[in-house]
Order: sequence, then structure tokens, then C-alpha cells
Amino acid sequence: MKLLSVEGLSVRAGELELVREVSFAIAPGERVGLIGESGSGKSLTALSLMGLLPEGVSASGTAVLGGHRLLGVPEKRLKGLRGRTVSMVFQEPMTALNPLMRVGAQVSEVMTLHGRDRAAARARTLDLLDRVRLPHPAQIARAYPHQLSGGQRQRVMLAIALANEPDLLICDEPTTALDVTVQKQMLELIAEVAPALLFITHDLAVVASMCERVLVMYGGRVVESGPMREVFTRPRHRYTEGLLDASRLTPRGTRLPTIKGSVPSAGAFPEGCVFRNRCPHAGPRCETEPALTGEAHGYACWHPGD
Amino acid sequence: MAMPAGTPVIEARDLTRVYRRPRTSLTRPGEAVHALKGVSLSVARGERYGIVGESGSGKSTLLRLLCGLDRPTSGSIRFAGQEIVGRRDLRFLRNDLQIVFQDPMSSLDPRMRVRDIVAEPLVAQRLPVGTRVAELLDEVGLPAAAAERYPHQFSGGQRQRIAIARALAPAPKVLVADEAVSALDVSVRGQILNLLADLIDAHGLTLVFVSHDLSVVRHVCESVAVMSEGEIVESGAVDEVWAEPKHPYTRTLLRAVPTLEGLL
Repeated sequence: MKLLSVEGLSVRAGELELVREVSFAIAPGERVGLIGESGSGKSLTALSLMGLLPEGVSASGTAVLGGHRLLGVPEKRLKGLRGRTVSMVFQEPMTALNPLMRVGAQVSEVMTLHGRDRAAARARTLDLLDRVRLPHPAQIARAYPHQLSGGQRQRVMLAIALANEPDLLICDEPTTALDVTVQKQMLELIAEVAPALLFITHDLAVVASMCERVLVMYGGRVVESGPMREVFTRPRHRYTEGLLDASRLTPRGTRLPTIKGSVPSAGAFPEGCVFRNRCPHAGPRCETEPALTGEAHGYACWHPGD
Repeated sequence: MAMPAGTPVIEARDLTRVYRRPRTSLTRPGEAVHALKGVSLSVARGERYGIVGESGSGKSTLLRLLCGLDRPTSGSIRFAGQEIVGRRDLRFLRNDLQIVFQDPMSSLDPRMRVRDIVAEPLVAQRLPVGTRVAELLDEVGLPAAAAERYPHQFSGGQRQRIAIARALAPAPKVLVADEAVSALDVSVRGQILNLLADLIDAHGLTLVFVSHDLSVVRHVCESVAVMSEGEIVESGAVDEVWAEPKHPYTRTLLRAVPTLEGLL
């Protein structure tokens, strides 16, 4: 039984293919991490599931969440799902919240928009603010976003996301802008309240603390996927291997392992294997694109590590 | 400038800095914010000194004071033996101490070519530019052709290389890195940290490295000061602080950072 299943999701901007043939599924209650560096296509994948792609960018393929199709359906249908069946917490709470509205009104709004009456929504707002562990919910509800700290704002975002008890919560780098001690509390809270979770981050250690399964994206493709512990202890794709090596800080005075070069800009990735211009193992075979092979633990690489 | 060996390059004593919030009442002055409450530290020549703390800990205020960008409410700062608090002519400081900021997108002028960005510290001090730009770009691993381009044509890691080249231009003795790798992807972070280590060795630089991440500081620095609420709550050799943190706040900080080693 799958809650979300995505098949052959591609995102393009005109001629440019930004995300290519991404397929994955999330079971009810499952926590899945989507890892990759900036420019790998992970945020676009999430935005296409929310129907929030910017103008001029379009998605194709199929994505079904609890019987509802998410791609290629009219905006009117998506409006009914967004914020109710699936909701999202963004990276920067300062830009995601409306600076001119009290935060309580912003939490109630998402409920009244989905048909709850005003009084019930207002009452539930206080419960929600309490549930995301904001002290003095009644006071916080009357505050404006600028009066709150970064961590508090992100809790408000989470309260909005949870307001209609969605089946799936998508978090896009929800703690990147927060201090480490605040990050820890926020992660614990998300783990506690999330129904099913798609968690996007570039921080491998954060994924390891949150998710059971991971998808590794590079160049708009899923290059490796599988159970978190297995992928992180026995990576098969050379990109995953490079990311893991680079995440480990070696003792002082030693060289840090790195991946050579930098992530190309969109459209500048090589033909065939997208990673081959940075891969130390690349050979002639890599000029053909490898398919994602393997059952539970899949990888798209011609010369996997072991 | 000649200095007897063993003299600290930076010596700060009892620094305090009080900001005033804008007034909200006609009858009362604005609330005072004690951003620094008596901070003392000493950085030896050639040392790699880390400052760790979260937002609001006062580390940015401390950095601004050490770089002569702001004046303390009280206390003294000696740079290479010379007092900089209250001194007007800070040219020696501008030459000998340079900064690399966190976000290379906002610290590089988008309308200037890389050549002019890198040469600016020299031009501002009326020092000869000559072939310095090409040398500096080569040193940070950028092609000479980069000089004619603009910051937006580079990736985050490359922009940070440009910022480092600019910082090295006046041949400083002290390099201050303010969260210089925090905004970078992990695959690029290693490249920049390796580059910094090479440059520090090659030029015998003293490094002041500010970060919220104690594990990065442990890789880079020998000594560390942990800041919280305007005070240094713990300082010493980074390996000792890492292995046996004494202050409760340091322990909280260490526990809060998730590490792959700890989780797998």
C-alpha cells in the first residue's frame, strides 16, 4: 500500500530538462529523505508535487497521492489538495510567512480556506501553536512574523502545514537557516508530528537522524535510492560515495576528501551519466546513460563501489 | 611590522559593547542590549583560532570590533602590539588583517569585474597593482580569464575563491573567516577548507575562524573560544574542549550537531 507514488516525473523549462524520469514511492507513515546539492533538482521535484512550479516550468509524468492525481490536473483540483492532503514547510520562514498578517490569522486561514468555520479554526489555531511547542500560544497568535525568532517562525510554518492533518508533509531544508540547538528541537518536533514525510536537505547527517529511506539526486536524476543505513554505509553510486566522504571531517592537518569541480549549471550536465565529468572512475561506458538498477537499493552507475 | 616573537597578534581585554534599541517611549531611552559583556582573548602569531557560537551569542559583534569596523563601549584591543580602540589611522590594520565573509554573493559587488574586486584593497590603499591579480587568481585556483568576468558568472565555491583572493591582495598577516564555508555545499566545502589550509601554510598567516559548527572548527583550528550570550564561556585547545567540554552550553552545542559517525 503506497501513499504517494511518483512515476517518470520530468520537469522542463522550455528546451531545458531540469528533472528527468524521477520515480519513487512513499508508504503511509514512512520518512523519506531527498538528498542532493544545490542545483540537483530536489526542490523542483517537491514543488511539482505541490503544483507550485514557477511560470514557464512544467512537469510531466504521474504522481498519485492517496488516489488523487497531482500532475496535469487543473489548478482548481490542486487547490483542494494543497494545504489539506499534502503540505509543505519551506526553507526560509521569513519569506514564506506574510509579514502583514498576525501569525494566528495565517494559521486559521489555511483551515477556513478548506471549509472550516472561523470560530472552530481560531480555537484550533491555539491548539496547533501549542502542539508545535510555542510558549504562550495566545500571545504568539497575536504577534507578527518579525516579532518572532527564526525557530519560532519555522514552528508557525509547521503549525500551518499540520492544520488540516495532511497525509504527507514535505519539508524543504526546514532547518538550514536555524542555529544548531534550535535545529535539533525542530527536527525532533517534525519527526514526532509528521504523518508521512518527504524531507529535502543537503545535510547527510540530518537525513541520517530523520529518515528511513533516502533518494540521492544529482543533475535532475535519482542516482541512488535505498534504505538510509545501507546507502550511507555501503554507497554504490560514486556521487553518493563522494558526498559521504566529503561530509566526514578528517583530523586537523590532513586533506579533506573532495569531489572535483563543482555542480554544473542547468543544461550543462554531460550526456550519458550526469556525474561523469566529476567522477574519478568515469570511462567510455559512462557516455551511455546508466539506468537505475537494483530492487530495494537502486543505483544508476556503470562502475558501482562495493 | 617587526614584532618580538611570542607577542600575541590580537589581544583583546575586557571588551564590552552596549547597543541601544530604538526608543519606544518619549520619556524613557531605548532598551540597552549588552552584546558583549567583558570578553578577553589572545591570538598568537601563526595560530588558528576558532570562535564558535550561535546567533545572538555576540560573535559577530566581537568580530566587528577585532576588525576595527566598530568601537567597543569599553575595553582595549591591541593588534600587533598597537592599540586600535579610539585610533583614527587604521591603515596598518586594513593591510594586515583581511576578512572573508559568509555569503560570497552579497560580499562581492555584482557590477564589478573580478579584476577590480581583487585589486580593490590595493587600490584603496594606493598600493601598486601590477600583476598581483593574475598571481592571486592563480593562487586560489582560478583561471586568469576569470579576471574579465563578473561574480554572477561563477558558482558559490568559485565566488568564495574570489573573496579569498581579494583578502590576500594586500598580503595580510591575519585572515578572518566569518562563516566562510557555511553557505557552501558539502562537496565544495572541502575544496575551500583545503585551499585555506594551503594558503595559511604558504603565507604563514594567522587565522581567526568563526563558525557555528564545532566539528568544522575542530578540523581547522588549534584553539577555540565558545561564546554564549555575550561571553566566552569556555576556551582552550580545541581537542580538549571537544573531548571534555566543561561548560554546559558547550555540551549542548556538541550534542546538537548531528554527525554521520554518531548516527550510523
